[in-house]
Amino acid sequence: MSASTPLRRKTVLAGAALAAFALALTACSTGSANVPGGSSDDTGSEASLFAGAPVASDDLILPGSTMEKIKERGHLIVGEALDAPLLSQQDPTNPDSVTGFDADLAKLLAIYILGEPNVEIVPPASETREALLANGTVDVVFNTYTITEERAEQISFAGPYFSSGLAVAVKADNEDIKGIDDLGDKTVIVGANTPAVLAVPEEQPTATLVDFATDPQAVQALLQGRGDAYVQDYTLLASHAESNDDLKVVGQPFTSEPYGIGLGHGDADFKEFINNWLLEIQESGHWGDVWTTSLGTVVESDVPTPPTIGSVPGS
Amino acid sequence: MNFLSENLGLLLQALGTTVMMAVVAGIGSLILGVLVTVARVSPIPILRWAAFCYTQFFINVPLLALLILAVFALPDAGLILPLAPTAILVLTVYEAAYVAEAVRSGVNTVGVGQVEAGRALGLSLGQSFRFIVIPQALRAVVQPLGNVMIALAMNTALAAAVGVVELTSRANKVNLVYAQPIEIFTTTGLVYMAIALIIGLGAGWIEKRVAIVR
Repeated sequence: MSASTPLRRKTVLAGAALAAFALALTACSTGSANVPGGSSDDTGSEASLFAGAPVASDDLILPGSTMEKIKERGHLIVGEALDAPLLSQQDPTNPDSVTGFDADLAKLLAIYILGEPNVEIVPPASETREALLANGTVDVVFNTYTITEERAEQISFAGPYFSSGLAVAVKADNEDIKGIDDLGDKTVIVGANTPAVLAVPEEQPTATLVDFATDPQAVQALLQGRGDAYVQDYTLLASHAESNDDLKVVGQPFTSEPYGIGLGHGDADFKEFINNWLLEIQESGHWGDVWTTSLGTVVESDVPTPPTIGSVPGS
Repeated sequence: MNFLSENLGLLLQALGTTVMMAVVAGIGSLILGVLVTVARVSPIPILRWAAFCYTQFFINVPLLALLILAVFALPDAGLILPLAPTAILVLTVYEAAYVAEAVRSGVNTVGVGQVEAGRALGLSLGQSFRFIVIPQALRAVVQPLGNVMIALAMNTALAAAVGVVELTSRANKVNLVYAQPIEIFTTTGLVYMAIALIIGLGAGWIEKRVAIVR
């Protein structure tokens, strides 16, 4: 059976070309693996956002503490997403620029410790956030990390730094679903590893869940009719509804999700340090500025009152 | 390890989905793969070319890209299938390319003289394939095919990314509640390992039974 012999030389050539292409691809992707937040090409608006941001005095950097370790290293290692619009979104045309509510707060924390927004991002952190914190791969996690008591047994939470809620989005022509109460026996789309995976069955045990890895996938799935509704953070849904006429948000948020900053279990000094920092940026107005330039761009309301630190079980 | 006992039913159900996907896609890809090989080694140039393009395309495009295309692009073309069947279909056509490459290497072990002898006896092309080439080719590649099937079983985990609730997806959900990634994913990994071991041992057993003693 020698039918393929004439093809063989061509195949080798094609293989070599493919290998070269693959190498080129890998080379590209390694370049963006480390994402230093405070690189030289930061935009002007970002610079003004961080102007006058509080910096910790030297006596707060306790000897032998996590803060001191970070200061010696020269950058803060943060577990955060790169694909969460308004929260932590990498600019596809400029991989060095990651912006959003979580991303900007992480930079503010870096400024507080180091004096400059030197952030190294380790993505994606959602499935293994606890493990990344436990083995010290990252210093902190800013990742819409809902504070729960189960999680608080594995890691510690500073904050909460923001309180949000889950809401329901449907296709614009859907008149049957008016909110979470109408989702019984319906197919509900959720983002994998988001708080919705747990919250929807609690409210509607008869709903069938379909989870997609990323937010754009979930929106696409809703618009293509793979589910009746999409449950996600209401701010995110509001931003989709604003940019896309085929989708609308129905009803009010039906949960309260206190987001915390994840850190190593039992690191009481670091926790207190971060909680103090949260109070400082709330007072200095930086917390509100960050909200206004990220989540606030899609919601027509004033800057919300930040949640009281330590007010949630587990924090 | 209380996450295991408290979620045993859900995890077993998810394991069932994983096994079902692997078995259906496995059988499908074996059949499709053999057909592609036949086309690849047939004397008809256009069939050879089509089979060559098929294998090259599916071997060189990442499975995750194919899955996402099938789940999100086909509906735009007016073709919407439930998620699990879509994933099974993609796995089938993807792994068929690997099966075809494995079987083709088996075809190369069958001597040209045997086909010529078949032709001298008056066998048609189809008969030569059916009675001479394919039976011997398959016997020669049982272990490589076993490896393709193991890869297929592992690849079912990618279906978690497009909403199919199989073992990996369920493990993710359990982890969301219990926040014990190391224990949960190690357990899941051990289950996948057991699946691979069963396929591997099964392939070894079949190989011994069907081996051609030369």
